[in-house]
Amino acid sequence: MRDVTILGIESSCDETAAAIVRNGQQVLSNLIYSQIDIHRQFGGVVPEVASRKHVETIALVVDQAFKEAALNYSDIDAVAVTNRPGLIGALLVGLSFAKAFAYALGKPLIAVNHLQGHIYSNFLEHPEIEFPAVCLVVSGGHTSLLLMTSPGDYEEIGSTRDDAAGEAFDKVARFLGLGYPGGPAVQKAAEKGQAGVITLPRVFLDRNDYEFSFSGLKTAAMNQWRKIEQGQPGTVYDMAAEFQAALVEVLVEKTISAANQYSARNILIAGGVAANQELRNLMKKRGKEIGVSVYYPSLQLCTDNAAMIAGNAYYSYQKGDFSPLDINAHASLMSW
Amino acid sequence: MELLIYNEEEMNRLGILIAKHLKGDEIIYLSGELGAGKTTLVRGIMRGLNYQDKVTSPTFTLMNLYSSHPPVFHFDFYRLGPGEIEELGLQDYLGRGGISMIEWPEIAGEELPREALQIKIELMADDYDRERRVIITGQGEKYCRLIEELMSDAHFGN
Repeated sequence: MRDVTILGIESSCDETAAAIVRNGQQVLSNLIYSQIDIHRQFGGVVPEVASRKHVETIALVVDQAFKEAALNYSDIDAVAVTNRPGLIGALLVGLSFAKAFAYALGKPLIAVNHLQGHIYSNFLEHPEIEFPAVCLVVSGGHTSLLLMTSPGDYEEIGSTRDDAAGEAFDKVARFLGLGYPGGPAVQKAAEKGQAGVITLPRVFLDRNDYEFSFSGLKTAAMNQWRKIEQGQPGTVYDMAAEFQAALVEVLVEKTISAANQYSARNILIAGGVAANQELRNLMKKRGKEIGVSVYYPSLQLCTDNAAMIAGNAYYSYQKGDFSPLDINAHASLMSW
Repeated sequence: MELLIYNEEEMNRLGILIAKHLKGDEIIYLSGELGAGKTTLVRGIMRGLNYQDKVTSPTFTLMNLYSSHPPVFHFDFYRLGPGEIEELGLQDYLGRGGISMIEWPEIAGEELPREALQIKIELMADDYDRERRVIITGQGEKYCRLIEELMSDAHFGN
């Protein structure tokens, strides 16, 4: 079979990234122009800064992706780009660039759902994953459980009703004065503390569905912290440990329960929060108990990257499922 | 007008009450610190508009669009800095039909229209366990009238 080489472009949030992936598997180059230092000063992603930085860096990053892959522009078979969901200004930078690039080269354009890309990060490293698989996508903007019955075939079976898990991490980290990004900051603080010294609720909602809610946990953590500031005993380390434990337990138990119900052969974790060590460890342990293998991407593929976009686009390429050049970007998830 | 709201269910009912009096082209500002209940109130208003889908925090996406009747644009400026609101294309949404609900409006400051319904949700003595004080004010004739309607229809016992 002929090789298929796809350029992937990702600019949905704070990273400008480009990658070239062959046959959905072989990563020839994978570049991320990290903007984390700019954002740290502001205590969060500043979208305007993000779109301006994307404009400044995208051509550079794409060009570098070709250099590292030792390919010419005309060597690729398609241009893949994230078009949903994300910050609209940031998405449009990548999408406009990708359209122009594809048009100039006369190559097809493939618009990719960012969250499907995250899930695909697992397949880049583990082609042996079997179906059906239950996928937990957890990031700053999203918390969703998906059932994947075959390659490229996703069905959402649950999602958050209020805050995303990563958003709760960020807001609580800010409240506790732990800094940004919130996930790693809370994990680091939690290492010095112990869960259970302070108690926070595990919000499971209905045990029979796969809906999440983290707004109540966030408020409970803030409430307890206010009381500690006002003189009640407690340390920021114990608070971080308990908050992390409460959030992770809910994510893991909902996923395990979905894996049981759908007789999943594998569990996949993806998205920025998939970098959390506590989440990885507990999911692995509980997966083992029910006899299901658990996969998560290596740390560098948990963050936003373009290899996952180029990889996921291979499904569409094989089906001849290309996007028109007038396709739009969408801030929220329109559909799977 | 000022109300004391003792739990999530009451916040929901307040939202349904507000929704009943909306004509479909209003701007609503929601202020209050993290965890005060801003998104909860928006959810209540959406239920009042007969919208049954999810109403999630727009902190990450900056704006959620709800295809209710009338449509609702749910903004959250929490992650933005001053001067960055323009990037959102806010003017494309405000005053063009549909209801705009904006969390953290103070971040936008002068960039937002003055005439609006302003809802402030306050914690009592910094305690998340206690009731919330909700203060609703209106700028401009249209919104003053809306407050009068709300007041004559409020049955919250305080």
